[in-house]
Amino acid sequence: MEKRIVITGVGTLNSIANNVADFAVALQAGVCGIKELDLFDTAEFRTHKGGQIKNFSPRDYINQEWSIKRMSRADMISFAATLEALSDAGLDPLTDSQKVEMGVAIGGGSGGLLEAESFYMELLKKGSAKAQFSKLSTIYCASSADRIASELGLSGPKTTFMTACSAGATALGYARDLIVSGQASMMIAGGVEPMCRITYAAFNALQSVDPNVCRPFDKNRAGLSLGEASAIMVLEELDTAIERGARIYGEILGYGVTCDSFHMTSPDEKASGAIRSMQAALLDSGLTIEDIDYINAHGTATAVNDVTETRAIKELFGKRAYLIPVSSTKSMHAHTLGAAGALEGIVSILALLHGFVPPTINYQDSDPLCDLDYVTAGSRKANLRTVLSNSFAFGGNNTTVIFGRYDGTGARHG
Amino acid sequence: MDKNRQIDNARRVVITGMGMVTPLGVGKEEFGRRLFAGECAIDTIKSFDTATFPSHLGAEVTNFAPRDFISVKNLRRMDKIALMTAASARMALDDAGIKITEGNRDRTGIILGTAFGATDVTLQFASTLLTDGPALVNPILVPNTVMNAPAGHTSIELGFRGINTTVTHFAVSAETAIAYAAAEIRRGTSDFILTGGVDILSKFYYEVLTRFHALSPQNGGQEACRPFDKDRNGAIAGEGCGIICLESLQSAIARGHKPYCEITGEGIGSSPTTPTGWPENTDVIKRTLHRSMKNAGISAASIQAVSAAAHGSKILDALEAQAYAEIFADSEKNPLITSLKGAIGESFSGGGIRACALALSLEKNILPSVVGLTKPLRPMAFVVGEKKEVAINNAALAGISFGGTYAYLIFSN
Repeated sequence: MEKRIVITGVGTLNSIANNVADFAVALQAGVCGIKELDLFDTAEFRTHKGGQIKNFSPRDYINQEWSIKRMSRADMISFAATLEALSDAGLDPLTDSQKVEMGVAIGGGSGGLLEAESFYMELLKKGSAKAQFSKLSTIYCASSADRIASELGLSGPKTTFMTACSAGATALGYARDLIVSGQASMMIAGGVEPMCRITYAAFNALQSVDPNVCRPFDKNRAGLSLGEASAIMVLEELDTAIERGARIYGEILGYGVTCDSFHMTSPDEKASGAIRSMQAALLDSGLTIEDIDYINAHGTATAVNDVTETRAIKELFGKRAYLIPVSSTKSMHAHTLGAAGALEGIVSILALLHGFVPPTINYQDSDPLCDLDYVTAGSRKANLRTVLSNSFAFGGNNTTVIFGRYDGTGARHG
Repeated sequence: MDKNRQIDNARRVVITGMGMVTPLGVGKEEFGRRLFAGECAIDTIKSFDTATFPSHLGAEVTNFAPRDFISVKNLRRMDKIALMTAASARMALDDAGIKITEGNRDRTGIILGTAFGATDVTLQFASTLLTDGPALVNPILVPNTVMNAPAGHTSIELGFRGINTTVTHFAVSAETAIAYAAAEIRRGTSDFILTGGVDILSKFYYEVLTRFHALSPQNGGQEACRPFDKDRNGAIAGEGCGIICLESLQSAIARGHKPYCEITGEGIGSSPTTPTGWPENTDVIKRTLHRSMKNAGISAASIQAVSAAAHGSKILDALEAQAYAEIFADSEKNPLITSLKGAIGESFSGGGIRACALALSLEKNILPSVVGLTKPLRPMAFVVGEKKEVAINNAALAGISFGGTYAYLIFSN
């Protein structure tokens, strides 16, 4: 029988919590982290709000000053979340044999662009000859996986995905595959996205940012809210988790990756890519639509995404679409791009573990084209067996991941 | 054929097509001819001014006419990196004899590696933002600044809708993308996957490389790329795209299409380094190659050829040579070692082009020589001077990156 891959530790920093325990509480309370940004000056931008991580102090996590010097903000928040996840998994410290077979798969995004911006502004002032190019050594998003593996001394497989908003979800799926195929025995998997001027300007230029707070599925929704986050999971085989007596959050049952092949920034209106992505994940999980208890939507709150995603869910789930709660937690922690799939993966397993459906907050007016149960009146107690989580990206990249309670009540193994 | 054998063939991954846009030419005919003739594509950089930099050489793509490959409708939306990718992907599909139809488009996809993405467009966007402010940035540029844009454009141009993802991990971007693609074919989730790597030269990117002392002449001397040579003094920057088409052996047999070779094993590994540094020893390089051989079910003695990662830098080339000296020490016959980077430069995701070249080597049983190598850093079986004819059953494609990441792929006859 194929190996079952479970999640035994999680860690996150995001705009509504700086650790997983607080995140679970904030999700159930419906806290909004979308506020005025102070990471950089937004005076000249069209919008000024976002989901920013607050009160992050790298020295709370990293002892060595030289280690901090080698890291971008993205590297630091992903490393901090990794330490939380390992400790949560009872893997602190790691043994030498665990290090040899442990790998890292990260969904990246803006990487060290925040630091690159400072570098470039200095270059404009002082000229190229005097600019400190060494500041660019962590500019690319692959740096985060390198720093995690280097700091921890890991020698398993290491890789980074960059498919904008679906990268974190794909990293989780691929990490599962690496354990199933025997390339690694444990994986650190997740995503990271730092707030930075370039990304903020890009979404502003496309006029896809709501100047206030995003309102997923609302009739008057006016775009997304950008956020930053790190979201890391520890994945391992069910047998080894049981053997070590680890607490098991849940199981990755399957995932699917497709593309629209339609347009670089707009989803296919027929929602074919999204439908096929959910279908592929169901097929991979050995589940049917009847088995899905909650859909954690991509739900960016752009005019076209929310109606397209709703159409996709209705097309695939038929009448059952109206019976399944569908929520967008981006209304709380904002759209964290490269981290989104992993962050919402953590949302999904917290929902499974604690038995609740997180709400879509900021919702006021119903849209006749978005007519599903979006859980708009606060979080809801629910005994969930499975969660399907969608992540759709620029470039037409779609990834869907399905999580299950490990006791097997919702899984094909049950 | 019995039933078990059929199941086997469904899980065996073969390369059935290739396409490339490289400094050594566009398409496998020209690329193969110039590669095996031992030509060098390194020359003074023409597309931008290098006067203020300590380095002036590069391996640039010339004579690439995107309109020969890309529809006019999509051409104007695509930037240089997307054009190279889509053109290479089209050539790979044609070479594999695959037509995208309604029947196969949802099980055909792309897994692309790129180390740095569209550095030209990203800098253009960032430069306006940081010089003139956010009100003046050009929204038209935005879609092409993301690293997954080339794969997205390619899917739109060619009309396939299956798996689509972009892997970025510095100098092993292409090798790790190919490893993922092979695993997906083996898992049976896709019928055809285009995979490989793409990176482009741009002025700012070139300047950054010179400032990191990554390029020849690192410590003075004549500027040149000399992989595995005693007098090596740094890499030469290159660019280009190489894409291979993967499918199961069962699918290739059913279509009656002869594969170039099989991908029998992959290994990926990691070891601690500083952000742009190299590892202290060869331990994990060896462990990763062993991992790939174990997955292929072969031993070191069964490998006849290695396409090395060496690009002419002091540390990398010495480490890699040391690793092979140790791994193959017990083999009766040492494999021949070549590196293509003396001919095509270091384009970081050049593993895509090198995968095409290695597949051609397995098909023709010829290994190209290491261009630029005259005085080997140690006595080893490097292909020096002339190409070598050799019966290749198994060959290793090496990916070794600064930052401590390693990827090996085993190609088998």
